[in-house]
Amino acid sequence: MTQSGDIALVNVTKRFGTTVAVENLNLHLPHGSYCCLLGPSGCGKTTILRLIAGHETPTAGDVRIGGASVVGLPPVQRGTAMMFQNYALFPHLTVLDNVAFHLKMRGVGKTERRRRAYDMLTRVQLDPFVARMPAQLSGGQQQRVALARALITNPRVLLLDEPLSALDEFLRLQMRGELRRLQQELGITFIHVTHTQLEAIAVAEIVVVMDQGRIAQAGPDPEIYTLPRNAYVARFMGGHNVLNGTVTAATHGMATLASASGERYAVLLPPQTITVDDAVCCSIRRDRIAVTKAPPGQAARPTEPNAIGGTVHAIEYQGAYVKVTIQRPGHEDIVAHVADSDFFTQHLDIGNRVVARWAAEDVHLLETEHGCKTGRAVVDQPYGWACDMPAM
Amino acid sequence: MKEGGIAMKLSPRIVPYLQVAPLTAVLLVFLGIPLAVVVGVSFFDYDDFAVRPAFMLRNYLELFGSSLTYTLYLKTLTYTAIVWALTLAIGFTVAYFLAFHVRTFLWQMALFLLCTVPFWTSNVIRMISWIPFLGLNGIFNQTLIALGVVDKPLEFLLFSDVAVVIAYVHLFTLFMIVPIFNSMARIDRAVIEAAVDAGANAWQVIWEVVLPLSKSGIALGSIFVVTLVMGDFFVVKIMSGGQSASVVLAMSNEIALLQYPPAAASAVVLMLLVMLLVAAILRLVDVRQELSG
Amino acid sequence: MQLRHGTDKRPWTFYVLAAFFTLFVSFLYGPMCAIYLLSFQGPNGGLTFPMHGVSLQWFAALFAQHRTGDFAGSFLRSILLAVLVLGITVALSVMAGLAFRRRFVGATLVFYLAIASLIMPGLLVGLGIGLMCQLVGLQPAWYTSALGAQLTWTLPFGLLIMFAVLSRFNRFYEEAARDLGASAWQTFAHVVLPILLPGIIAVALFGFTLSYDEFARTLLTVGPSNTLPLEIWAMTTNITSPALYALGTLTTVVSFVVIAAALTALAVLQHRRAQRRPHAAVTR
Repeated sequence: MTQSGDIALVNVTKRFGTTVAVENLNLHLPHGSYCCLLGPSGCGKTTILRLIAGHETPTAGDVRIGGASVVGLPPVQRGTAMMFQNYALFPHLTVLDNVAFHLKMRGVGKTERRRRAYDMLTRVQLDPFVARMPAQLSGGQQQRVALARALITNPRVLLLDEPLSALDEFLRLQMRGELRRLQQELGITFIHVTHTQLEAIAVAEIVVVMDQGRIAQAGPDPEIYTLPRNAYVARFMGGHNVLNGTVTAATHGMATLASASGERYAVLLPPQTITVDDAVCCSIRRDRIAVTKAPPGQAARPTEPNAIGGTVHAIEYQGAYVKVTIQRPGHEDIVAHVADSDFFTQHLDIGNRVVARWAAEDVHLLETEHGCKTGRAVVDQPYGWACDMPAM
Repeated sequence: MKEGGIAMKLSPRIVPYLQVAPLTAVLLVFLGIPLAVVVGVSFFDYDDFAVRPAFMLRNYLELFGSSLTYTLYLKTLTYTAIVWALTLAIGFTVAYFLAFHVRTFLWQMALFLLCTVPFWTSNVIRMISWIPFLGLNGIFNQTLIALGVVDKPLEFLLFSDVAVVIAYVHLFTLFMIVPIFNSMARIDRAVIEAAVDAGANAWQVIWEVVLPLSKSGIALGSIFVVTLVMGDFFVVKIMSGGQSASVVLAMSNEIALLQYPPAAASAVVLMLLVMLLVAAILRLVDVRQELSG
Repeated sequence: MQLRHGTDKRPWTFYVLAAFFTLFVSFLYGPMCAIYLLSFQGPNGGLTFPMHGVSLQWFAALFAQHRTGDFAGSFLRSILLAVLVLGITVALSVMAGLAFRRRFVGATLVFYLAIASLIMPGLLVGLGIGLMCQLVGLQPAWYTSALGAQLTWTLPFGLLIMFAVLSRFNRFYEEAARDLGASAWQTFAHVVLPILLPGIIAVALFGFTLSYDEFARTLLTVGPSNTLPLEIWAMTTNITSPALYALGTLTTVVSFVVIAAALTALAVLQHRRAQRRPHAAVTR
């Protein structure tokens, strides 16, 4: 197996002076996967990308590609190629010469390298523009030139630093599909850095959510979205509401939790034991919440578990669903995604008192920072672990 | 096997030192050492025949004891102040026109170059070109007479303080225009629009927004003009017709007479004064952002 | 104010300022035109107007050595010296400018040294170098001490220009080049240098013209043979004929040729790279 784009980061730490960008990080990505590094600014995702690329050297730990350590090797010898965030196209060269640059550094003759560059540009449908200068191209075209320039090096890993953030929305959606198709066609590993959650889950097979230099969760994208490991991921992905409570009862396959303000939640009992008085963190998907107007005269707090009362605080129409923010005393707001038909039938409005309900089966247990028990076996490391992925 | 660090022939840390070394060496040899020599020589002894190495304060005492010194400095500082004020006024106005009233970038650059091109020709030539212009039979006087403004040619125009100031302004206004224009070009137009939006009239916008934001350009230009006027001798010599003198002109006379120690002492005092003025300007305004582009 | 309100009408301030600007430009160029005219003064004409006929006599007089000094020799020397200064200034300024992109010990000192060199009155520098040569026993000459003296004037300018140019230089170009397999030297030769070329041309222009016109620093350091500005200076102290004006015209023509060459080179570069607004440091 010659060109393996298998990537492993082993106990990697990177410090810039006194700032720790990445700490004790472990990550394993199989060859040929499309992986997204996701997180807010400063979480370390770009640092990881640059460590893999060879533009940064780890302060501690090892970076391995295809099983062999690459620390100290320049990018070209690693078999990686990078697409820079602002493309970094050479302003003094034509599009053709930009793409042919790598071959020129290799010493390939002029006619030969121009021919190969032309072929590559045809692949990204930019052949009419070969004689243009980068300043004369649109953002989307520049991006494709940058892509062609990186791909001509025949990399086994392609690294994309926020490739879509400079594009307008429409182009962004279009390019997502193209990147995905390209990756499948080439069969190499793509590592794509982004801060947009929906983009990550749309485009990647594996999503690595990062928080302040550590991996919060790494896994297939449906898992990241529906089964977040902890409150950070649950909140960051934007699909869940986080609920905190103390266990009051744990019997008959169900655990009952009580929040500080007296709300009650019921969650299916996990295989591991949870005892009374344990502090537990859980989450409920926004689109699994049913919202109804509270009948007038009803007590402010409903009595059954998995139901809360509150006031509608904000309404945002999103097309297929309506995002309803519900304020409740003593807690953070609950956000529900209500189907638009449902919303308009009920005539919900700001200021309405409503009841939000959900089923116990839809409640999902999270880890807390204080090491709470969940149904998963976790390697005992704070926030980072060797991610054992099923073979893709 | 390679360990950490990129396998380059030179450690990347040495490279900057190697790159900056030649320039530093040249400046040290041709500026640092010579200035040290000047300081040293200023303490030397001399008489009509020779210069003798010594350490004595005689030159400085003579310098500070002579009323001529103060007269010269007063004269030079007066020139400096007048020229500074004039170049600032003219430079600011021209820069303002170029930066805010010229619409297309092409015209901006073209007019800017138009102002800059004379800088690339010889200062001496430009200076003496005023002589036929301002002379008794010169173009200016002849025009005035032709227009009937005056009956006789104006004598004070040439070989006088007026001529000196005119020549200085002619030569050095450019040094005000360039940094001020640079500063103004960097002002975000949106800031000015916000000021107009908040009700400022034209003068208020200039006073409250443009002027403060051009401060570093003004400071840089002032430094140039001040040091150039204080360090000049040929303009004063020619344009005043020998009637006036400046500090450096006196110095050049002493040099011509091979009286190096007093000339050196004079040089040291001038250096200190110039550095003081520049430091004062820098204290008022931080020029660093100007130089960082 | 005169901002782009979308209307084409210009406020009255525009006309006032434009008039002022025109006045200023005529102030700049006017007197020199007098010189250019007078250099064609007739054979019997004097140093000032009126013109007594038109002739090229004074231009011819320049080449007759006995009358006007060593024009041809000093001209050659000026050109050679300017070319030397150009080369050294470009090489040293570019290198030093690149060095300043990183932090290194003594960076501030070198910076202030350059600034000090810029503001130090030329005659002082010349005095210092002259004295230094005397102490060391070296004879001053135009290609040694005068060269060094002129470099103290051109190097700071070159350095400052490089600062301005490099501050706008996107470091990702170098990373991209490295990513694509370029060695350090290849990155410099194929990416950094071409992109910096406009700035380098500017430094070259400064280097040449500042040296060609340099006077105060050169006065005391040039040794036995003069450069052109010094010849002119010698002539001004005893202006006797319009040959001086002819000299002035000729030397200005040389300057204009050099400037035109540099500007053309810059314009060609800009055009080829089709940059739309290279000076727009504001809106980015």
